[in-house]
Amino acid sequence: MAMIELEDITKRYQKGGAPVVHALRGVSLAIGRGELVAIAGASGSGKSTLMNVLGLLDRPDGGRYRLDGREVSTLSAREQAGLRNTRIGFVFQAFHLLPRTSALENVELPLVYSDRTDIRGLGQRALELVGLADRVAHTPAELSGGQQQRVAIARALVNEPDLMLADEPTGNLDSESAADILATFEALHASGRTIVIVTHDAAVAARCPRRIRIADGRVVEDTRPLCAGADPIGPGAARPALQEVR
Amino acid sequence: MTRQRLLIESLRGLRRYQVRSTFVALGTLVGIALVTLVLSLNQGVQRKIGTTIRQIFGGDGILVGARGTSLLGGPRPDAARLTIDDIAAVAGAVPGIVAWDPQQVRPAAAVKAGARAATVRVLGQSARSPVVWDRPAIRGRFFDDDQVRTAARVAVIGESASARLFPGGDPVGQELLIESVPFTVIGVLQRFGTDIHGMDRDNEIVVPVTTLMRRVLNVDTIALAKLVAADADHADAVVEDVRRVLRERHALQPGQDDDFRLLTPREVREMSGMARRIMSTYVPLGATIVVAVSAAITALLMLSSVSRRRAEVGLRRAVGATAGDVGAQFTLETACMVGAGGLGGVVLGLAAAGHLARHLRVDSVDAGVAVLAGLALSIAAGLLAGWLPARRAARIEPAVALR
Repeated sequence: MAMIELEDITKRYQKGGAPVVHALRGVSLAIGRGELVAIAGASGSGKSTLMNVLGLLDRPDGGRYRLDGREVSTLSAREQAGLRNTRIGFVFQAFHLLPRTSALENVELPLVYSDRTDIRGLGQRALELVGLADRVAHTPAELSGGQQQRVAIARALVNEPDLMLADEPTGNLDSESAADILATFEALHASGRTIVIVTHDAAVAARCPRRIRIADGRVVEDTRPLCAGADPIGPGAARPALQEVR
Repeated sequence: MTRQRLLIESLRGLRRYQVRSTFVALGTLVGIALVTLVLSLNQGVQRKIGTTIRQIFGGDGILVGARGTSLLGGPRPDAARLTIDDIAAVAGAVPGIVAWDPQQVRPAAAVKAGARAATVRVLGQSARSPVVWDRPAIRGRFFDDDQVRTAARVAVIGESASARLFPGGDPVGQELLIESVPFTVIGVLQRFGTDIHGMDRDNEIVVPVTTLMRRVLNVDTIALAKLVAADADHADAVVEDVRRVLRERHALQPGQDDDFRLLTPREVREMSGMARRIMSTYVPLGATIVVAVSAAITALLMLSSVSRRRAEVGLRRAVGATAGDVGAQFTLETACMVGAGGLGGVVLGLAAAGHLARHLRVDSVDAGVAVLAGLALSIAAGLLAGWLPARRAARIEPAVALR
């Protein structure tokens, strides 16, 4: 059983009197545990909408979304918030770090909305994992772009999610920092994490073992489609704990 | 997710946006301090105003002032002439008047006693002053008609003036100089206290009006006079008689304005009624408006904070906050700022009230009512100011805010 199963997902937008935009016109795909997948496409192709649906930030108008076999698109807002907290980690193009707030406090933010204990320890370990153990007290303004994005990755990791969703994670970075961030994702993938990177950058997509291309709200190319039951690691695989990575 | 963690997040929000937080807290502090101050002194000040008005005007006194003379300040250079003879003629011609007292004043006279000097308000009055103004000498004696007729250099001194010029000693029998004119102290005035302007009415010396006019001021006019009507119910008729006699003596033609001012018992009652209305209605109303304005400013600042922090809200939702968590955080942020400002305002307002009550010698401070009202108002202001921004923050769509 795949970790993520989308079946005929559709999503329409209409703003004011503007014509209806069909952002997703029936997307079906499956992603297995431990995969590193690029979702590529031009701007306006629907890839950001797909990412919002995958991250439970937006509800599809039609279709089914099963996470570990459980239908999640129809859950209540509160239950979806709980799933975002415990099972999904987000990385954004614009980092979205809180200003005037230390790297450590930024990383701890998801734990505010969880019932985890040892917040300090988890935050520290997540920062160590991205190589920023010596920057815990720095505020975003005191960090380079690449370092800010690594703080954001640590924040996505801190609650040990099953799935990491990265939306154009290198879009705001110079090529050296971008390579650094991609290497971080590859290391996390090597340690068993499931990562989906949404990008319009062909070079970024090329570094992922599996590439799904979206155009006009449909999947037009999938380099390694997952067949049901062909999970590379297997449904019973344990989630890697933070300590085991690196 | 615990409430405690949300509260800590809210406090961190206050720290992140210190300027906004400080302004909101300060705005609330000023508003609540004003409400607390006004409410805690309201009753005491109302009683004080009533007492002072009675002390100055008496129950049924009619005050006659030369035009251009302020009743408490003294004559100005362009003041119209008003003489003792004018008032004597009025008292002789109007049967309803049972007593009268002329008054001249030197508002800030240089007074010396031995090596000590003080600035004192010096009043010139008649021997009937203790009856007409209800303020006798409590030690020694007041001057008599003979001493007024002969312009004797005798003085009756108030407690504060005495304490400055004769500290620790009995002033009666002592000598002092008023603007270099020597006087003998023959008595001590009954205590008056401060009036509503905060003026110490015991820093006064009363001398015969004739002595002040001839020997100190070198004038032949008076500043004002107080007439006592026998029957307060018919005071209006008496006032009309007084006006007629004065107009005749001043040779005023019909259509010409009075060159004097009459203050009647009815006007005094209206004045004290207005003072009461101001204290009991307009002052608390004004303070409430101040609080409402500070609440509105708080709401506006929080709304602008919400729209500047849309990405933060989107992020919080993405990492697991519910819409309710986001609303709660903004509500708590507002509550902390307004609460801190409100508490500070109550403390500051009470401190100011205590200080002012001592200064004005207001007898009572109603702390209980004021504290309750101050806290209730700040809670109401906080709820009002926090509700709309919190609702707007909770309604932000995370997918849109993170775009």
